[in-house]
Amino acid sequence: MKNRLKVLRAERDWTQADLADQLQVTRQTINAIEKGKYDPSLPLAFKLAALFGMPIETIFSPDGE
Amino acid sequence: MTDERTQTSLQAGLKKSTFTLFLATGAWVGSTAIMSFGPSTLWSYDASTTYLAIAANLIIGLVMLYSFFKHLSAMDEMQRQTHLEAIALTLGITMVLTVIYGALPQARVLENVQPTNVLFVIGVSYILSVITLWLRRTRA
Repeated sequence: MKNRLKVLRAERDWTQADLADQLQVTRQTINAIEKGKYDPSLPLAFKLAALFGMPIETIFSPDGE
Repeated sequence: MTDERTQTSLQAGLKKSTFTLFLATGAWVGSTAIMSFGPSTLWSYDASTTYLAIAANLIIGLVMLYSFFKHLSAMDEMQRQTHLEAIALTLGITMVLTVIYGALPQARVLENVQPTNVLFVIGVSYILSVITLWLRRTRA
């Protein structure tokens, strides 16, 4: 699954640690999601969407798209 | 921007659960030693004391299991998934190796087998699986 996490985070001038703190996950988890090495759970994806104030599908998209 | 309280609470929760698991595991190892060596060294094979030691070992074992579940719950989701995948890998590796190991006496490769050796396989498989899976996700 692809995602725009890195871009969205950079737009807000947040570090991976900042985002991790807000989501109550480790920085390694944010790094793995950004690199596409880990797909977040649905609850975490919803938390991300709420944090960035946008629908999930604008942050995450299937690999083929 | 950084709210250090959140990260600290995640780390604090994990630290607390790790310590609890450490204590429970230590108690289980201790009670296992008492159950194994107590009959011959401490209470001269008194049956009722042995049953008591077995019951204590079972209860402490269940406490250790509960502590492990609490420890898993305290992890963040990628850590938890890594450990659950490591457990699945460990189960598979242990099953395959135990079947081979169990067949060795019949094939006259070994005279007898020690069931406790399976614990060694479980421990090593689990540690290596956690390290490998974690590095796969976090390595640049």
